[in-house]
Amino acid sequence: MVLGAAAAGVRAMTSSSSPGISLMQEGISYMVGCQLPAVIVNFMRGGPGLGGIGPAQSDYLQATKGGGHGDYNLVVLAPSTIQELVDLMKEAFDIADRYRNPVMVLADGIIAQMMEAVEFKYEVDPAALPPKPWAVGGAKGRPKNVIKSLDLVPENLEKYNWMLQEKFKRARANEVRYEEYMMEEAEIVLVCFGTVARVAKKSIEEARKQGVKAGLIRPITLWPFPEEPFLKAIPKSKKFLVLEMNAGQMIEDVKLQVCHARPIEFKGKPGGTVFTPSEILELILSLEESK
Amino acid sequence: MYQIGVSQPYNNNLFAPGHTACAGCGQSLAARLVLNALGPNVIVANATGCLEVFSSNFPQSSWEVPWIHSLFENTPAVASGIEAALKALGREDEAIVVAQGGDGGFADIGFGALSGAIERGHNILFIVYDNEAYMNTGVQRSGLTPFDASTTTSPAGGCSFGNPTDKKPVAQIVAAHGAPYVAVTSVGYYRDLERKVQKAAGIKGPKFLQIHVPCPLGWGHDTSLTIKIARLAVQTGLYPLFEMENGEITSVVKITPKPRPVEDYLKPQARFRHLFKPGAEEELKKIQAIADENIRRYKLYEG
Repeated sequence: MVLGAAAAGVRAMTSSSSPGISLMQEGISYMVGCQLPAVIVNFMRGGPGLGGIGPAQSDYLQATKGGGHGDYNLVVLAPSTIQELVDLMKEAFDIADRYRNPVMVLADGIIAQMMEAVEFKYEVDPAALPPKPWAVGGAKGRPKNVIKSLDLVPENLEKYNWMLQEKFKRARANEVRYEEYMMEEAEIVLVCFGTVARVAKKSIEEARKQGVKAGLIRPITLWPFPEEPFLKAIPKSKKFLVLEMNAGQMIEDVKLQVCHARPIEFKGKPGGTVFTPSEILELILSLEESK
Repeated sequence: MYQIGVSQPYNNNLFAPGHTACAGCGQSLAARLVLNALGPNVIVANATGCLEVFSSNFPQSSWEVPWIHSLFENTPAVASGIEAALKALGREDEAIVVAQGGDGGFADIGFGALSGAIERGHNILFIVYDNEAYMNTGVQRSGLTPFDASTTTSPAGGCSFGNPTDKKPVAQIVAAHGAPYVAVTSVGYYRDLERKVQKAAGIKGPKFLQIHVPCPLGWGHDTSLTIKIARLAVQTGLYPLFEMENGEITSVVKITPKPRPVEDYLKPQARFRHLFKPGAEEELKKIQAIADENIRRYKLYEG
């Protein structure tokens, strides 16, 4: 339905939780191939299979490295609070329209299940949105629009795919978003996204009170993955600590940034449980001892 | 019925107690009645949904028979694979293959797989437990949600009387595929259910059973009323029970002594509560018209 609505030129979105998103992967790949903007929200739960219904972050690789078939990327936005989720929804639609590409909002189940007060900081006037002259609709008096992703001439498909890659390159250059928290002089650098980052902030505050120079890099776009904060952090850092509610997925992107410059520790929770502030504090303190 | 054997399942039931269904769950009762009617020589493929979740929470299981769960949408395809494999091994008479799930899993999201499996003529008994919405995920409307029922995705309110569409006639659609046996029954009519299950089991080819199973949580009725509500659905004419053999209706459960007004069925259920507020009189008439049309069409009552 989202594909059809997007093809007809309206802003469309869908949401699900892990298994439903797996089911949509073929459609998402087709939407990229057809250059259709839309927003897909995934509130992740523990997998694989039906898994459980506890919160998790185990669809990171699926979201950031493709998911469906073919050469493509989605801009992936990872909120860590409900307010941020509300704010990012507008951005998600804007980014989708900007690149004519689906955007994924990737959050853990906690954010879907939680309630907190939010402020709607924006209003969208549907009439003021950019026109979509490529959309299908009645073609009386104008050339017909065709939306498809099939091209059986390899040379043409290659050209088309390089054009798509140009869009991804532009997104890489323009859409990176991240947050640095207490990164001044940080020696122990935590890297977390979503709810884990929110919990980690509390632990970092406590660690700083105890004289431990801990800080946090929180990627908000999981794709494109931020590079700058890592380049900035590495010289002063002693160790990196990656925490995820999965068995270790974002750590692959962190390794690409840190390479072998510093040791990277990992702690994961695959299956539906959540880190506590004291648990993360303990991890920070144990790294401080061994640095 | 299942005969007492050496390794006797708890209380002689093939669907064991101790599962986590809600109090008054019509589906869990129907699943037990179905299995006890079929006996132990079955292989059950179960779609994702309430029945699967409350009966198989790892590491426990209520199933005293071979049982497999896979996805939400592919159960008829999985069952087709099981049946084809038994055939390839020359063991097709060993067990009855059952594919079962809820109305969401079979009439909506898995409908393509169901249609394909029936059209290919697999020797499978397909069972849809119809609780008239996606109950496992929190009462979202399905293709089998009745007209004017309030669900979380068809909420009744200032601009709406609830679900704007009629129930998808899934039994008739399956019959139109050429399935040799299609029947609609209800957990409120145990003897009818048992008879239809056993009749279906004796027929070769694709068989399809639709069982009406009230859901106290999703329908908002008292947990003690499950059977009563199920019977009222039939007695008002809103849920006709019939058999179709090779596309023709061959039997119906007659309404006795005479049809009840639809209000009797609707009133105890919170999902129809909005129909009893001022301004909804026309809606009640529309629902009565659905019942009257069923009574006429299926000849449920000749007064």
